[in-house]
Amino acid sequence: MKSDRFERWLRNIHHTQDEEISCSECFDSVSHFVEVELSGEDPAIKLPRVKQHLDQCPACREEYETLRDLRNLEEEGRLPSKDDLQNLIP
Amino acid sequence: MSSTRTNQEWLHDLNASGSVQEAAIADLRDLLLRAALYFFSRNLGDFQGLDRDEIMQRAEDCAQDALIAVLNRLSDFRGDSKFTTWAYKFAINMAMTAARRERWKGVSLDELASADKSNLFEWLMEDKSQGVGPEQVAMQAEMRATLREVIERELTEKQRRVLILMVFHEVPMDEVVRHLGTNRNAVYKLLHDARRKLKSGLQARGIEIGETLTLFDPSG
Repeated sequence: MKSDRFERWLRNIHHTQDEEISCSECFDSVSHFVEVELSGEDPAIKLPRVKQHLDQCPACREEYETLRDLRNLEEEGRLPSKDDLQNLIP
Repeated sequence: MSSTRTNQEWLHDLNASGSVQEAAIADLRDLLLRAALYFFSRNLGDFQGLDRDEIMQRAEDCAQDALIAVLNRLSDFRGDSKFTTWAYKFAINMAMTAARRERWKGVSLDELASADKSNLFEWLMEDKSQGVGPEQVAMQAEMRATLREVIERELTEKQRRVLILMVFHEVPMDEVVRHLGTNRNAVYKLLHDARRKLKSGLQARGIEIGETLTLFDPSG
């Protein structure tokens, strides 16, 4: 695990840009990013700076992945109800 | 039904008055609660020691805070996504902050940040490369020594502190934000500036980090 973490950190250093967008700017665009992805387009091409931030920031990435998965469930008509979700809590 | 409103209908109804607005707010709140619970359901390990009612109460609090944030920022909605996708992110953001706060409560980040600098350097110097030649081993050693030198000499105390907490200890961003009494943008900038110094420090010594990455994974 430690080696994986070290490798990930090296990749982050390697892919560091002089200018990177902030977490707020990423937050503002992440819903657009998810919709682009859902439409079948490559969001990394349309919104490269958002993609770059998501690759560097674990907090924004986790929010993005949750939003993407929730949006996919909604698109498939499988958005869980409050009761469904409550029942998952032990 | 809430999920069948168009973006324009959401904006219209939320900006209306009386029963139309009340119904829209109730529908939105329900969706935000589900988004918060969805995040919680993926991260139940953050809530050990809490019972279902306590977890539900935290989800309700997140939904309420998210509802207020969404209503305050309605004019920021640019229409480049479904309205609900835009709204969900507020609930997810608040759910993540609440979950991480629960998981890390009682942990002293001051102690973590100050006591373990030596462990960070040990970690840095561990050689995990296997089956590589002496030249590559030497390159790895030089890179690790350079990273250590930059961390010790070129990073500010704050940059070093954030690096130790987030990279070495994997403390979540929101907990570091709370610890420093700042915001995500400021913490991200500290990490970004640290990465830039580390990258330029390696480049100045002629160390190509991309070549080093192939020692871990040939696809680099």
